[in-house]
Amino acid sequence: MEKRFMKGCEAIAEAAVRGGCRFFAGYPITPQNEIPEYLSWRLPEVGGAFVQGESEVASINMVYGAAATGTRAMTSSSGPGISLKAEGISYLASAQLPAVIVNISRGGPGLGSIQPAQSDYLQATKALGHGGFRTMVFAPATLQEAVDLTYNAWEYAERDRNPVLILMDGCLGAIMEEVVLPEPKELNYQNTEDWDLSKRNGRTDSHMITPILPEAALEMLNKFKGMSYKMWEMTDVKVEEYMVEDAEYVVVAYGIAARVAKEAINTLREEGHKVGMVRPITLYPFPKASLDNLDYTRVKGIIDIELTIPAQMRDDIELQVKGRCPVHEYGRSGGMLLDDEGVYNAIAEIVKGGE
Amino acid sequence: MKKSFVFSGSGGQGIMSAGMMLAHAAIDMEKHATFLPEYGPEQRGGSAKCTVIISDDEIISPLTKKCDNLVAMNEQAYNKFQDSIKEGGILVVNSSRITKPIEREDVKVISVPVDDIALEVGNIKVANIVIIGALIGATDIVSKDIFVASLEEKFKTKKPEILEMNMKALEKGIAFGEQVK
Repeated sequence: MEKRFMKGCEAIAEAAVRGGCRFFAGYPITPQNEIPEYLSWRLPEVGGAFVQGESEVASINMVYGAAATGTRAMTSSSGPGISLKAEGISYLASAQLPAVIVNISRGGPGLGSIQPAQSDYLQATKALGHGGFRTMVFAPATLQEAVDLTYNAWEYAERDRNPVLILMDGCLGAIMEEVVLPEPKELNYQNTEDWDLSKRNGRTDSHMITPILPEAALEMLNKFKGMSYKMWEMTDVKVEEYMVEDAEYVVVAYGIAARVAKEAINTLREEGHKVGMVRPITLYPFPKASLDNLDYTRVKGIIDIELTIPAQMRDDIELQVKGRCPVHEYGRSGGMLLDDEGVYNAIAEIVKGGE
Repeated sequence: MKKSFVFSGSGGQGIMSAGMMLAHAAIDMEKHATFLPEYGPEQRGGSAKCTVIISDDEIISPLTKKCDNLVAMNEQAYNKFQDSIKEGGILVVNSSRITKPIEREDVKVISVPVDDIALEVGNIKVANIVIIGALIGATDIVSKDIFVASLEEKFKTKKPEILEMNMKALEKGIAFGEQVK
């Protein structure tokens, strides 16, 4: 265990190395450049390889290739670059290869802005590529959480043989705060036979390039994947429930928005208002039960706070609230940041209006 | 206790490293700190701003609309951020570059000819050390001894004159800061 004052991107990069990442390929884009910059010198130190690809498409396909050798591989980008990687991510999902993809998100749509925004919730949770596959989506709110989630991301990716996405906004990517770094993992590569082509041993059932599958085989793959997603909902949901036991108003927020909201909630509590928060840590699988099981005879309103306009998580929230109380939203976007006053005022207006 | 500091100016004035040094010193004092840089696509000459929050307790939100202490290193930064200081807060202005009268009457103003002092002690690069000196002089948030120790550590492999120059810059800044304490 080692305590360090680190930048968000660098903390993720170091946690990846300690979690066993030995290959990185990426293409520059703000605000995630500190991840490749850090890994460019750090990976060679541990016998790993760093490649600055000629494009996003090349980079994700290098990750595809590295993953197929059993190596823990990663790429990172921001919204526009993740869009370019979408095809490769879908191919990874189809080839059932483990990998970790990091999106340090910025203002969108289009080229957007280089300033922070939570503009990629829909892309991350609904369609990270074509073909209707899903990935687990981790959304840390502190750098410690980012370190812990990244450090263990390959365990999920390898268990499910599926990519894992870490979604964090540019603000947390740039911020520095204290983190405790875990001990580097000892890698044994003993459990990689199923997908590691270097351990093929004459088997003919594994392919680097996934062929056009016979219809029945493709359906089987999709059924298998569907079972994975169901399992995640049962065993892998991560959520923080903050002061919801007696809450009359429940904020739903993730990442940086949840931190700003929590401070506002503390102030509102001091003033005697019963406000709480549900903070999804896994955006997919979404913490459905935390919202579905609220006592709606008491809860008068849900407030979705995101660093994006319009709110993107709202559909997932409404599916659980099922019309049992109003759902409100507040956000900033385009690179404009949320701040304590704005978030406090937004929540206070709804809470005080309903009392 | 929780205090926020905003350092603002233009790229090349040492804004980011000033904020980072202050945050590191706070960590050395076993406090909690966050450092958030904000800048545009420019490298030199563009606007540069960073927010440092130092607290005895864990820092929940690193984003704050109003700050307790503002450092404005040029007039553009001053115009943009002077409204954001909390009532009773501290405004440090670089009077080598900001010559217009200060409008805020509800904050403590420390007017420091930062560039002139830095050049006088030897190098414009120590401008940000002068600023940190002023903040150390005016507030209790970071102790002088801890900061001096971090400077000694930082420059231990460099020529002794470098540390000496930084120490002079720090002392001059502290003297300005102490005037408002």
